[in-house]
Amino acid sequence: MPLAYTLPSNLSPATVANTSSLLRIVALALISGAAIASRLFAVVNFESIIHEFDPWFNYRATRVLAEKGFYAFWNWFDHTAWYPLGRVVGGTIYPGLMATSGVIYNVLHALNLPVDIRNICVLLAPGFSALTAWSTYMFTKEMKDESAGLLAAAFIGIAPGYISRSVAGSYDNEAIAIFLLMFTFYCWIKALKTGSVLFGTLTALFYFYMVAAWGGYAFITNMIPLHALTLILMGRFSSRLYTAYSSWYAIGTLASMQVPFVGFQPVRTSEHMAALGVFGLLQIVAFAELVRAHVSSRHFQSILFGSVIGIGVLGVFAFAGLTYKGWIAPWTGRFYSLWDTGYAKKYIPIIASVSEHQPTAWPSFFMDLQFLIFLFPAGVILCFRELRDEHVFVIIYAVVASYFAGVMVRLMLTLTPVVCVAAAVAFSSLLDTYIDPVEPDVLAPSTQATEAEVPAGDSPANAPSGSATTSKKAKKAAAADASSSGLASGVLAAMSPSGKSAKPRGIFGLDTRIVVIANALGMLLFFVLHCTYVTSSAYSSPSVVLASQNPDGSQHIIDDFREAYYWLRQNTPQDAVVMSWWDYGYQIAGMADRPTLVDNNTWNNTHIATVGKAMSSPEEVAYPILRKHDVDYVLIIFGGLIGYSGDDINKFLWMVRIAQGVWPEEIQEPNYFTAKGEYRVDDQAAPAMKNSLMYKMSYYRFAELYGGNSAVDRVRGQQVPKTGPTLDYLDEAFTSENWIVRIYQVKKEDLLGRDLKTANSFDQGKKRKKSKPLARRKAVV
Amino acid sequence: MPRHWRAPFSFLLSVVILPLCTSAANSFENTAIVRTVELGGALVHVTTTYAVKALEDGSSVYTIALAEQEHAHTSWLEAKLKGESERLPLEDFGFHQDSGVFLYTIELPKALNTNQTANLVIETVQTHATYPWPEEAGQKDGQSLKYEAELLVLSPYKTAVQRTKVRSPSPQIHSYTTPEDVEFTTDAVATKSGATITYGPFHDIPPSATSDFADKKQKHITVHYSYDYPVLEVTKLERAAEVSHWGANLNIEDKYWLHNAGPRLKGHFSRLEYQTQNYFGRPAPHTIPALQLHLPAGIHDAYYYDLVGNVSTSHLRTTPSIPKGAAPNQYSVLELRPRYPIVGGWNYSFTLGWDSPLEDYAGYDKATGKYVVSVPIMTVIPGSVVDEAEVKIVLPEGATDIEYFVPYPALDETISTHISYLDTVGRPKITLKYAQLTDKHGGNIYVTYKVPFSAHMKKPVAVTTAFAGIFTLALAWKRVDFRIRRK
Repeated sequence: MPLAYTLPSNLSPATVANTSSLLRIVALALISGAAIASRLFAVVNFESIIHEFDPWFNYRATRVLAEKGFYAFWNWFDHTAWYPLGRVVGGTIYPGLMATSGVIYNVLHALNLPVDIRNICVLLAPGFSALTAWSTYMFTKEMKDESAGLLAAAFIGIAPGYISRSVAGSYDNEAIAIFLLMFTFYCWIKALKTGSVLFGTLTALFYFYMVAAWGGYAFITNMIPLHALTLILMGRFSSRLYTAYSSWYAIGTLASMQVPFVGFQPVRTSEHMAALGVFGLLQIVAFAELVRAHVSSRHFQSILFGSVIGIGVLGVFAFAGLTYKGWIAPWTGRFYSLWDTGYAKKYIPIIASVSEHQPTAWPSFFMDLQFLIFLFPAGVILCFRELRDEHVFVIIYAVVASYFAGVMVRLMLTLTPVVCVAAAVAFSSLLDTYIDPVEPDVLAPSTQATEAEVPAGDSPANAPSGSATTSKKAKKAAAADASSSGLASGVLAAMSPSGKSAKPRGIFGLDTRIVVIANALGMLLFFVLHCTYVTSSAYSSPSVVLASQNPDGSQHIIDDFREAYYWLRQNTPQDAVVMSWWDYGYQIAGMADRPTLVDNNTWNNTHIATVGKAMSSPEEVAYPILRKHDVDYVLIIFGGLIGYSGDDINKFLWMVRIAQGVWPEEIQEPNYFTAKGEYRVDDQAAPAMKNSLMYKMSYYRFAELYGGNSAVDRVRGQQVPKTGPTLDYLDEAFTSENWIVRIYQVKKEDLLGRDLKTANSFDQGKKRKKSKPLARRKAVV
Repeated sequence: MPRHWRAPFSFLLSVVILPLCTSAANSFENTAIVRTVELGGALVHVTTTYAVKALEDGSSVYTIALAEQEHAHTSWLEAKLKGESERLPLEDFGFHQDSGVFLYTIELPKALNTNQTANLVIETVQTHATYPWPEEAGQKDGQSLKYEAELLVLSPYKTAVQRTKVRSPSPQIHSYTTPEDVEFTTDAVATKSGATITYGPFHDIPPSATSDFADKKQKHITVHYSYDYPVLEVTKLERAAEVSHWGANLNIEDKYWLHNAGPRLKGHFSRLEYQTQNYFGRPAPHTIPALQLHLPAGIHDAYYYDLVGNVSTSHLRTTPSIPKGAAPNQYSVLELRPRYPIVGGWNYSFTLGWDSPLEDYAGYDKATGKYVVSVPIMTVIPGSVVDEAEVKIVLPEGATDIEYFVPYPALDETISTHISYLDTVGRPKITLKYAQLTDKHGGNIYVTYKVPFSAHMKKPVAVTTAFAGIFTLALAWKRVDFRIRRK
């Protein structure tokens, strides 16, 4: 066989094996290093700080765990959240993340390495990203081979789609969940391949860990049954499948029910019914197989026909009946919003108000995955080539995850691993084909050679068209080939379905190889550049701290959030209740250490709507609400001075909508628009808008800052009225340096029992109009 | 810290010697006493000059008296001969029940013969001696403080002439007491010129360190003055100094709990007001927008953070290390801006730390084989008082023969074990507690200790053992076959 270039032939197989094993370890170590390092932009550019909103709660919970021990954490009733309701934290969270950090913390301290718990929390996500790279390597290795595994590990290590949720400081459930997801899938594939109970149990254990860590575990709960079902439908039922699935389902379900937040959901909610159904189906199929082994085939067919219909009808009725009786919980809103993207906006404004629940804009696929998104379909198609059981899994995973990623931005995260795997399979096939020095025997004239140089594009069409037997043969040949020669890929063998084609197929010469490989390496290089750029510029901002630039180019930190939170922490009573929109609840609890009315755990819609109502009502309506809830301080975010667009005035319509959902008579969204239907804050703003507490608190004394010049709101780009709003029921308590955070204190009732408005105008020396006495409004205490 | 200077046997001494002292009330006579009170914010510096004449030969022990209230405020007391810099030995005799005063004795360097004279200068620093009045002030208002004290200087001896001068930092004195019915003078009791109020002169005062005198003759004075600087109080200060021989590093980490002890903010803080004041260059006197600290020369890797993370609004200008033996006249200047301006009544806590090269602070004594490290007790924030301080010094692992020398005695001292990175047995830690520290208290603690070579090698050995253990386990794991059936 001619070779395009010579390979050293005097190496013993042991040397080759040892060297490649060493190279693999080194490569994996380097990939882990790169994965961790690229997530440290946030720490280098800013500091070791917890990011965003939810991570602040996780951090706070972890501190309770680290300081007071596991049982205190488990039984923790947080009376400062959802004032005055409180929150049973131990029963309403996925404790996996905190437990992981707690274990790491205790192990390090036992080894006399007194690492601060904050640093553990900050660096947990980068650390686990290295593990994710490793588990993706293991997973892809099962799909193709080690080299594809290494590529997949490198891709997942730096793909922005995953980095976006796992930079240092992004201490959220997703930080460990993607590792668990990939490792559970790896164990599942391994269990399916070997039929080993050990791996089935491992799948169950990691599934349990996943259940304890992330609400997205339902993805696994449905992916594995879907895979199993597809295999059954494809006629690929085997005892291996039976063992793997049964051991996973039995142990995994029992284990997952140990998590208090999950409880009896695995047997009572619709999301988990597929797994149960497939489990039942598997038992039936297994039983049918047993029967088939003992009765004649004609007999068997009639038995099968009757029983399939009978069981099917029975199952549907049972399911419908149980749902009707309420034994099985119906689908939740979040589930419906997965199928109808407009559903949430109509029925659950809280879900729709979160930006990460919006449908994905398609450029973000490119931003998050760059060239992987082009290779992804190629990889999926390559999976059809061999279509082993595990390839079916990747295909299903690819289809399902692509759909979900299109529905919600945040589900991009579950798509990223399969994209990396499929792209790595495709890319590694490409490299295998072009690096392999074997040239086809030139028997035919050279005109055919040029034709043969057409790249792999046309061959996939050939492969499935071959008859079932030949493709099976090819598959076997491929498997044999892949195992026998290290470099010659199975795909190359699969490319010639009949094995003995008349035309010699393959790549001739060194130049073709160099051109294609250089091109491929160029793509990799640009991928790295893209990932680094996107990570550093888009995904590494803590969002607690804002960065801007001084005129001389140096970095200027805008730190208003922490300024205000720290002020609250140091200069207000320990039990002062702070009301703010729910976005800031966790941050206030974490940084200011004060009770809040609502927070990012949006479990009580009415409570949130109450806050929304208080914010969108006029002062005198809002005041009794504030007093009833013991509110001492009201905190709002106002970006008008420096142009911070994520402020409360821009979120205001959501508050109105959510309040409207509960009090449709009192709050109506159209009232907050001008007659022309515009959302304005200037002179022409709608009266309801101008009188709302939120508007007043945002622009209180804002115009005075401009000293008589026209005051411009830099977010809305509108001129605000020169005489700003006045406040009778609240006092300005603190405003941060750039006016981003404004805190108001709620006045106590007037000592003389007057209306606060009257009291205020009396203090200012204004005469009361004699015509009509003001209704005496007494707040309910 | 006068009240803790009491020697263990001083109670005994007071029983035995005090009668002698009082009987020796005739051994001296004060020809003149002049007290100057420099009013300030958190600290008030009081200098009292005693012109002393001996009435007996060989008089060498002079006794001074502090009234109860005065004593409670006094946190620093030192005695010198006028024009000399040497401090005279001072002994605390504690509270004398009969006369209701606290007594201290000063040992003169040379015993005086009859009619010989000496000029003694007693310097004291009073803390918490002033309070804001009015107690609340708006953001635009000024800041005024009140100082209260006793009019006459107490002394167990007869005094010929006595004056008290109260000097305010600004000439704006709102009011001051003019006591009536003072026995020892015929002129006006108080005169004011500029920023100084002079009480006296008072003539021919009998020995006044008696409760009888305090009850009948003593007068109370109050001065209400305007003060244009913030009154800063450090309610708690924790300093941890960690000596590392492997890193050749002295790490110092301070935790501060600041409190603005000026008038409480009336109403609420308005950012608009604050920005307007800054814009017109008229910041309110009771607002602390920033602090300037003098950190040692040669420091690096300074950090400044609080409970919610790094504070980015600070500037550090470092100076290179000063060679040993040279006068420490250069400092690294840290401009430290809290997250928010600290207005009256507000608190702010933060952590400040830095690394210094160990050779700037440590030396090795070849003769005894001991290391000597000097650790500064605190970084003085000018004009502030530290209510409670804790200084921890962590020595290298395995240090033995630890001795330490403090510039003034601590309230409480303990040696415990501190476990840090890569420790096997832990490091010795010295903890010293102090209270009411002022700008006079900035001294060094000297610690001497031995570190044997084996202790130095503890860390590398521990790390090597751990890794060797892991590799051995991995080696064994690789070579053991757990499979039941061979493939």
